[in-house]
Formats: sequence, structure tokens, C-alpha cells
Amino acid sequence: MSILEAKDLKKYYGKDETLVKALDGVSLNVEKGEFVSIIGTSGSGKSTLLHMLGGLDNPTSGKVIVDDKDISDLKGDELCIFRRRKIGFVFQSYNLVPSISVYENIVLPIKLDGKKVDKEFIDNVIDTLGLKEKVNVLPSKLSGGQQQRVAIARALAAKPAIILADEPTGNLDSKTSQDVLGLLKTTGRKFNQTIMIITHNDEIAQMADRIIHIEDGRIIENK
Amino acid sequence: MLANRTIVRLEEMLDDAIEGTFVEDKYDESRMSRLESRWKDFLSNSVLSNKNLETERQRLEQFISDISHQTKTPMTNIKMYSTLLSEEVSRGEDASLEKIRNYSSEIEKQTSRLEFLIESLTKLSRLENGTLSLSAKKEDTNKLIRTSISAIESKAALKNIKIILDDDNGLTSLFDMKWTNEALVNILDNSVKYTPEGGEIKVFTESFEMYNAIHVVDSGPGISEEEAARIFGRFYRGNEVKQEEGIGIGLYLAREIISKEEGYIKVVPNNKRKGGEIVVYLRK
Repeated sequence: MSILEAKDLKKYYGKDETLVKALDGVSLNVEKGEFVSIIGTSGSGKSTLLHMLGGLDNPTSGKVIVDDKDISDLKGDELCIFRRRKIGFVFQSYNLVPSISVYENIVLPIKLDGKKVDKEFIDNVIDTLGLKEKVNVLPSKLSGGQQQRVAIARALAAKPAIILADEPTGNLDSKTSQDVLGLLKTTGRKFNQTIMIITHNDEIAQMADRIIHIEDGRIIENK
Repeated sequence: MLANRTIVRLEEMLDDAIEGTFVEDKYDESRMSRLESRWKDFLSNSVLSNKNLETERQRLEQFISDISHQTKTPMTNIKMYSTLLSEEVSRGEDASLEKIRNYSSEIEKQTSRLEFLIESLTKLSRLENGTLSLSAKKEDTNKLIRTSISAIESKAALKNIKIILDDDNGLTSLFDMKWTNEALVNILDNSVKYTPEGGEIKVFTESFEMYNAIHVVDSGPGISEEEAARIFGRFYRGNEVKQEEGIGIGLYLAREIISKEEGYIKVVPNNKRKGGEIVVYLRK
């Protein structure tokens, strides 16, 4: 079952001699439950791709279909609500709200959507990510690796259709990175979550079920 | 009026679901929009569980065909050698003795291959259908490593392979001692198989915040990047060792066991390092 599909995505900046083809006809398909990594050098277009897939930016042409919905049909607030319900983001910077506790950060997207918190599920997520002892503290009291784990918990908490992670270990040392990736991999499987991770590190990519290699705005390998 | 419109929309949603054409209509902060979202979740999940059932059925079919394929070769060999054996015996010449010895040792070899296959399959099925459940609890990681190494020591000695163990401090991890030992023995056994005469296997631990790692490094040919993803597949065997005994179920079983205790296994491909390296990550 396809959860995410991109059809001939193009993103051009500038025009004539200053025309930059950040994405030049990318098509891909992600099945529910897959753990996919996108690799490419910096400037290859991988972050642009993630922004298109996550509805953070509009493509010049082409389509993005998330959970059977063409997101180019959505405008403004609709797109915002759609993202909140369907997509969990994990970025290089953790983007936690500094003034509220770890627990409040994790359940924030659920509360924003006016849904009831599935306590059992959340406790399971918190336990799996090793955050049990940290739920009541403020994010600033945590190490980088721990803050990223909170961000992953927050992404999982709303049970989104897909989790998009953009260089999630970019700010972490190699040891902490291994931990965070291991958790992404095992929690993905445990909670039957679809995960797409962007990285320039092919050792990290190695841990995925499938690697999509992108250069100069095009997919050069998909295995 | 409003209530009526709500009912109409609910009817539409049901109709579309039956037709399999349901698409969410609006994304706003209304309760109807939220309801649509959850209706979509429910539908996706039920489609998914149907699909999972179908995948499971196909997997089972594939499994049965794999098993019959895997048992066929040793069975055919045993039959052939038995025939040859009885022919030699009935000839009753002194010169036959050497041949008879060879044939019986061949039969022995094939029989133990079959035995190993059946044992592994039994374990696998018990693990998969949950008759034998894993109970992961805090255990001594070094005790695990020592137990596993002692199980393959004699096999390594036959090939003059040195096993170097660098374990320190009492690392405790969350795992099931019996099953994880099974997994680690399979990984070590694989290393012994691929390491040439007189080579060495290094085993050492590394501690992370969430996981403990057990590295198994051998001086064999290593695993290429292409192969890295496939070696944990059922009945997969490396190209270079097609001749070696084995059936390619050990690593598959190992991965199943480690996954069940929320750990994972990583292969370091041989463009990153010389020799083979498999890393087992266990939850702390």
C-alpha cells in the first residue's frame, strides 16, 4: 500500500542563465511500513525533495500524494492541518518548545488537533525511547541526543502516516547518532511506522530497507 | 438543517468506504474534518491488515517451497551414496573398503546437514508462532559472549582460528539469554565459516546511551555493500562460499531473535573495512 508518492517533481529557481534546477523530474513511491533513506551530496536536491514531500514548499510542477491525497490541492490553513495530522517531522535542530516539559512537548501535536491522548501508546513510546525519567524536566536540561529522542517521540505520538527526518543526526556525535538511528529503526518497526530519512552519510543509509540516491536533482539509484 | 447535512456527509463517507474511494474532503479545525481523518486512518489500517494477511500467506508458501528445496539436495545425496554403498558391499572386494568408508562419511555429512536444517526450522517456527516466547531481562552481556564463544571454540580450533575476546566491565543489557546465545552463536559460526585457516576473530563490546554493541570482526573476505542487505534473508548464501557447508538460515534466525528483543544487527560492508564485521545492538 503506497503511503507517499511523488510524480515527476520539479523545482526550478531563477530563470534563463541563472536557472537552478533543484529538482528535475523526481518520481518515487514509498510503501506503508518502509524505512527509506535518501542520500546525496549537499546541494543535490535532497532537502528540497523533503520539503516538497512534506508540503513545506510548493513544486514548480509535479505531484505529491500523501495517504491518497494530492497535497497540491491544499491551500494555507488546510495544508497546515494536513501536515499536523499526516506527517511527523524530525529535523537537525530539535525544535522543542523550551518553556514546557518533555511530556508536554511530546503530546503537543495531539492536543493541537483536539484529540484525546492515547496514554498507553504514549507511555509505550516514551519507554521505548528511554525518556521515562525525563518526562517532567524542561528540554534545556537534556543532552542533544536526548532532545532528538524527544523530537522522535513527538513525531511518533500523533501516529502520522509518515515520518520525515532531515539529517536527524546532523548535530550529534557519531556515537549518539548510532543510538538515535537505532531507535528510529526499531521504533519504526515496533509501531509500524513509515520513515523516510535524509542523510549525506551512507553508513547511516545502510540501515534502511531501501536507499534512494539523488544527485543534481535526479534519482540516480533506487535499490 | 445542519444536523441533516452532517448525516448526509456521514452517509457519503460510508458509501465511499464501501466503494474504496474515500478521500478526505476538508482539512480544518471542525469536528467533521477530524472525524474524516480518523475514518481514513481506520480504513487504511483495515486495508493494511488484509494486505498483511496476504503477505503472510505468500511468505508461508515461499517458506514451504524453500524447505522442500533445501531438503531435496541432501536427500538425493543420501539416496545416491546409499545405493553406491550397497553396490560396493555386495561386490565384497578388499579394495572396496576405502570407497565404503568415503560413502558412509558422505552420508553422515548430509545427514547432519539435514539435522541442522530441521533443528533450525523448528526453532524458527517456535519463535515465529510464539510457542516459545522471548523474555528479555537485564543480563550480563559478557556472560553471553563467553557462552557463545565456548560453543564454537572447537570448530574454530579445527581451522586454527584464534578468537580474541576483549570484554571488560560488567555490561548489562536487556535480552533473553538462551535465544540471544543462539543468535550470537550463529553469527560467530558464520565468521568461522568465512575465515580462512589460521585467521582470527575479534569480539569486543561498546557501550552507548541506549544500546550495548557486540562487534564480531573476522579476517575473512568480508561482506560487500550489495550483499550486506541480503545476508539476513532466509536461505541466502554468500557467492564465495557456495561450496562450504551450511544452508543460510543462521543469520536470518539471528536477526529475528535480536529484533524481537528490540535490538538490531548492522553489517559493516568490506569497502569500509578489511574483513567481515557484524555488530549486534542490544537494548540497555
